[in-house]
This record gives sequence, C-alpha cells and structure tokens, in this order.
Amino acid sequence: MEALLTALSLAFSFDALIAVFIGTFIGLVFGSIPGLTFTVALALVLPVTFALQPATAIALLLGTYIGGMTGGSVSAILLGIPGTPSAAATVLDGYPMTRLGKASLALGTAVAVSAIGGLFSLVVMMLSVDFVAKMAIRFGPAEIFALVLFGLSTICGLAEKSLLRGLIAGVIGLMVMTIGLDQLEGVQRLTFGSTTMLQGVNLLVAMIGLFAVPHVISVFNTYRLDRQTQMQAADVKAEFPSFKMLKQHFGLTMRCAALGTGIGAIPGTGGPIAAFLAYDHARRFSKRPDSFGKGNVEGVIAPETANNSVTGGTMIPLLSLGIPGDPATAIVLSGLLIHGLVPGPMLFIEHPAQIYAIYLAIILAYIAVVVIQFFGIRMFVHVLRIPPHLLGVAIIVMCGIGAFAIRNSVFDVYTMGIVGLFGYIMMRAGIPTTPVILGLVLGPTLEREYRTAMTLSEGKFDIFYTSPAALLFFGLALLIVVLQSMANLRPASEKAALKEKPNA
Amino acid sequence: MLKLTRRTLCGAAAALLLYTGLASAPARADFPEKPVEMTVLFGGTANAIGQILADLMSKNMSQPVVAVSRTGGGGAVGYSHVQATAPDGYNIVWNSNSVSTAHHKGNMPFNYEAFTPIARISTEVPALGVRADAGWNSLADMVKAAKSADKKLKVGISGKGAFTHLTSAALFDALGIADKVVYVPYGKGKAPAELLGGRIDAAIQWPGQFVSHAKAGTLKVLAVTSAERIAIMPDVPTAKEQGADIDITMWRGLAAPKGTPADVVAKLESAAKMAVDSDAFQAASKKIGFTPAYMGSSDFGTLIASDDDRISKLMGELGLKK
Repeated sequence: MEALLTALSLAFSFDALIAVFIGTFIGLVFGSIPGLTFTVALALVLPVTFALQPATAIALLLGTYIGGMTGGSVSAILLGIPGTPSAAATVLDGYPMTRLGKASLALGTAVAVSAIGGLFSLVVMMLSVDFVAKMAIRFGPAEIFALVLFGLSTICGLAEKSLLRGLIAGVIGLMVMTIGLDQLEGVQRLTFGSTTMLQGVNLLVAMIGLFAVPHVISVFNTYRLDRQTQMQAADVKAEFPSFKMLKQHFGLTMRCAALGTGIGAIPGTGGPIAAFLAYDHARRFSKRPDSFGKGNVEGVIAPETANNSVTGGTMIPLLSLGIPGDPATAIVLSGLLIHGLVPGPMLFIEHPAQIYAIYLAIILAYIAVVVIQFFGIRMFVHVLRIPPHLLGVAIIVMCGIGAFAIRNSVFDVYTMGIVGLFGYIMMRAGIPTTPVILGLVLGPTLEREYRTAMTLSEGKFDIFYTSPAALLFFGLALLIVVLQSMANLRPASEKAALKEKPNA
Repeated sequence: MLKLTRRTLCGAAAALLLYTGLASAPARADFPEKPVEMTVLFGGTANAIGQILADLMSKNMSQPVVAVSRTGGGGAVGYSHVQATAPDGYNIVWNSNSVSTAHHKGNMPFNYEAFTPIARISTEVPALGVRADAGWNSLADMVKAAKSADKKLKVGISGKGAFTHLTSAALFDALGIADKVVYVPYGKGKAPAELLGGRIDAAIQWPGQFVSHAKAGTLKVLAVTSAERIAIMPDVPTAKEQGADIDITMWRGLAAPKGTPADVVAKLESAAKMAVDSDAFQAASKKIGFTPAYMGSSDFGTLIASDDDRISKLMGELGLKK
C-alpha cells in the first residue's frame, strides 16, 4: 500500500505527467508519419532520459512506446502505408474504409480499441505477472516455432485471388530475410562477399519500401496519365465511433485483447503476429467474411486491439525475465537499466513503487493517446485534401529519411528503393503484398526457433511432437490450411458439376 | 510563385556552398570543431554504456560526442563504416573484442590494425549460471554430474563464435568435459529464461542477466571467468579458484581509424579518462553491471594485440576461423 502511494506521488508528479504527455505525442507523430517509426523515436528519446528522475524517464519512454504503437494505424488507415509493422494488418480494411469516406470513423475506432486493448493487457499484467511469466517460460523454441507456423498459415486467408500467388509472395518474404549474417552460426548468406550486405534487409526498411514506394509510383503514374488531381476522399468530416458500435463488437475486442496479451507475453513473437492472427480470427468468425478487405470495421478493430494489447504482454517478460520482445522494448530495457531498474523477479520485491509507477504511466499514456487523438483525428483527415501527387513527394522524402534513420545506413535507403520497385512489379503482376510482410516478419523467428529446437534435441524431431502446446498450434495451422484448400476447391468442383450437367 | 522558388533555391545553394567551404577549411589545431560521432556496434548493454560514455565525454569537450548506432554483422558493419572515414578523430568506434571475432570469422577483410586505439573504458566478465534446483554448488559438482550422465550437458550461449561461445569452449576444455557439451545459441538475452524453463543445463552470459534471478534463488552462479572476483558478485568464486586455469575478460573501449594524429587521440583519451573517473560513470557501472577499467592508448594497443592472438588460436581450435 505504501508502495502504491509512493507510486501515485511519482506518477502524478508534474514532471512525470508532462513526460507521459510529451512521450505519447512524440510517439504518435513518429508512428503516424510513414517512414518514421517509433523505434527511431525511442532511440532519440533515450539519451534525453539520462538526466531525468527514474519515474519521469520511464514515463517518457513508455509514453513514446505506446503513442507509437497507436500512431502506426494513422498512416495505415489514411494512406494505406503502415507506420509500424504491427499496423500492417490494419491496412487491409482501414484503407478501404478511407476510400469509402469513413476515414475518421476508422481512425476513431482504432484509437478506442487500442486503448481498450492496451488497458486490458495492463490489467492482466497487474493481476498475474508471476503466473504469465511462468507460462511464458514454458514456451521453448519448439512451441514458438509451432506458434509462428500457425501465424504463417494465415497467408492462406490473405492470399486474395489465388492461393498460389499468396504462397509465392510468402516465400519471397521468407527468402529476403535470409540475406546477411545468419543468426545462429554467424555465417554469411547471399552477401556476395560485401560487408554492407552483412547487415541484411531490415524488416522496417523492407516494409516501408513495399508499401510506400508502389503507392507513390502508382499515384505519379495516374497523375502523368490524366493530369487530374483527384482527392482521395471529398468528404473528410470527423465522424467518431458510437458507444453502440463499440459495444456491438465488444466480444471480438475482448477475444483479440486476450490473444494479443498472450502472444505479447511469449518472448520473440510480438505485435505483427498478434495483429495478423487477430485479423484472421475476425474474418473467419465473421458472418460476412466476404466483406473483409473492402472496408469492414471489424478488420480494423481486431488488429488494432491485438497489437496494443501486446504492449502490456511484452512488459511481462521484459520486467520479470529481462527479455525484450522487439527492438522497441529493447530500447525501453536500456532505459530501465540506466536508471538502476534491473529486470527480474527481484525488481518486483526491491522496487515495488517503480513497478506501480510503470503501471500508472501506461494508464496515463493511453489517456493521453485518446485525448491527443480526439483532436488529432480532426487534423489528420485533412491530409486527404492534399493532392495525391504532392503528398506522394512528401511521403517518399519522409521514407528516405526514415529508412536511413533506423540504422544510420545509406544501404537501407537503397534497399528501400529496390524493394519498392520490386513491390511495384509484384503489384502489377497481381501478387499480393501482405503475405510478403508475413514472410518478412515471421521468417527470421521461424528459422531461429526451428534451428534452436533442433540443436536442443540434438537433431531429433521428437521435440516437436512430444510437446502438447506445439501439437496444438501445429493442429490449428493444419486446420486452417485444410479449410482454406477446401474452400478454394469447392467453387471449382461446383462449376465443374454445372458444366457436366448439360453434357449428360 | 516560381520566381520565389528559384530565388529560395539560389539562396539555399549559396548557403550550402558557404557551409561546405567553411567545413573543409583546414584547422586541426583546435580539435574538436564539430561534433564527434561515436559508432555503437551493438544494442543492449553495449548501447547503454556507449550512450552514457558519449554523454559524459561531451561534458569534457568543447563539442558534443554523439553516439550513433550501426549494428549488424557481429560488429563488422560499424567497424567497416568507421575504418572508411577520414582519420581526423571525428569518427570513432565504441569497440570491443568483437574486432577480433568479426575478423577471424571472415566477416571483415581488415583486423584491429586498421584502428588507432584511444582508451579502454570498461570490462565485463562472463559468468556461468545453473538452475538452483540442479543441486550443483561448484564447478566440480557440475563436472561430476556431466561425466556420469549419459546425456550431454546443454549450455546456452549468445551465438556461435560470440564471445560467450569462446569463453564456454575455453572453460569446458579446462574442465576436461569439452566432449560432453552441446552449445545452444540464443540471441537477445534469452538464455537465462531458457535455463529457468529447464531446456538447458547451464548458460554462460553476462553477470547482469543473472543477478536478479540469483538473488531470488532460482538460479545459481557457479563461476566467473576472470582471474579475480568481480564487484557485482563478490561471493562467486572464479573458475581459476576452482581449478580451471582460465582468465577471460571482455573489454570495451574507443578507437579511431588508423593514422589519426597523436594530439587528436590524446584529446579524446583525456576526455575518456575524465568520463570514466566521474561519479556518474561509476554509479552507472553498479547499476548496469560492468567494471570501469580505464587504460591509456599504448597499453590498450598492446592488450588488443595479445587478445587478438589468443582469440585467433581459440577460434582455430574450435574450427570457427576462416
């Protein structure tokens, strides 16, 4: 109790409140500008925290992290370019909503469910950090491999027109991520002996290239052909989601929040997997699965709830085991270390006040997100009034800067351009982009966990089929593949049956 | 509108010319005249210490030192960047033994001789942790159990060819059970959690990763690999005390491209010394779990050379050398 009171005074001190607010704002701005990511924002904020009190520093870092996570949906919805990998699934239905003139509704829904998802995961974390951490430890390489394979099976549902093209796209994604130094043995792969190639293709860079560059090329192309500056949407009035609508989708929101929290707690997975699994779940259990990809609000609710509930989930292994789930939490971890908060079981015993202050900072950050976005959305939607070809110039410049800033490497700017051109060719060839993203996101984890599992078992496959959790995920993956294949085959056989009839 | 744009452009171009003209004016006498860029090769602890060092060095110089992250390739990407810059002291690298491992693995065409040492800043000592419920209280207990078991001992490391791998190989060789061990590489500091999960039997990692679990009584640290005990874990005996004759410490320091003028190196060296001696750096070392260990340029150069020789031999024995 005493710790809670100390925490209250820490978290509600003037400095800490301002820090949460500023952090959230910075995160939102970086997250919502295509090309700039909140990982970069965190790296920039980190040195600033050295001079601050621990509680203020943590408030600033967590605010940036959470603001960035929610900000990623803004450009995903308005421009069809995700601000973060976690928001890639939001593009699928968020961008079509914008084209239907429902941009502000999509943005408002994203903010609301983000806050719900984030706070849900926080409550889970507060109530059961020990239990969840113990469960998370039981997830070894074999189990994570199975989970990631399950995530990869959602490619089936994202393949759009043809399953074959979806699989081609997925394999391209998997292959691109093998470039560089392999993670376990440190062996060079596809580097052609060049030192610059050793750094490999960065996930964020590839994603910026894949979404932004083809978008900008096609905008310019349209402009060149008919010289007409079409507005993306004439109607940009701010329309917010009603409580009735949110209540109607409450069940879905809760299921996706639970899914996100669970996946966030397993080290080495993270936001993108949770978002894609949630999207697939929403589509599969919807009464109108055909309306997905065409602006169904459930296609925004599911990934946005899930990727924000990951924030609370990742805090569990971060605080109790010291394992960062992704590059962003790795920077948060540096911040904690510098301020003398060494993660592990003793953190909860030795620094209870700081732990409570972390919880409060997360709550305050979500409040700040809702408040800032309430006004922000009204401004953001005006981006749609800018002629697309002018906006395209701004986007490509920001993406160039963003690609460089991730690792301070010019190589990444070239990579973005090459991946982007490739993405444009794929778009023209009718190969969907989303499965490529899944391959990029899941490929490195899939390979690492498989090889680690095989090292552990000394080359025997029994490690995969003796674990109930692994078997469960293998089963689910198989189920999705079978269901999808049947769905793909059925129309063909029905058509065949129709054709046969006249002949008979 | 067009006119204005053209005029602005001309203005900008003129300003740019003026700027580059000023920047290229030769004036080495008053180093530094612009911010010094410190390339950081890794995330995690390396990044945290590097950031603090850059912050403290900035206070001792007329221009700031800026830590810039260039990760990848086990350090090779960052080393290559700095090695290719002008030897004027404005590009320095926050280096470590990785200069030797990256080169001998065949990922870097040049070796430590491409750099001028500035100063050693800190050291970190690998530690061997096991699960508390394994019932092992010393290295001898572990060796006895490994010899009598029909299964191999699984040891978590940070990556094949990583410093923790080399340390493990040397330790288990000295303990005489090198053929009873399987190394399992984990990235991102996951090894302690895998140890807790019971999937591996031991892990060689950095002390900071074990401290909290050791205090909580779930993990036990059996040995550190340096010649002397370390401040963060004073109760943990060294491997040497327990009969395994090894002395392995990882250092971190600063280096500049080869050919950097001696007076420039001296200025950076003294700024680094002041930073290491400061109370703030000493306090940070206790929080993060490393040892401040300043060493001047020439001694540091000798150390890098002798360590490179040892690492080269060790990697050769492990079949990792290219």
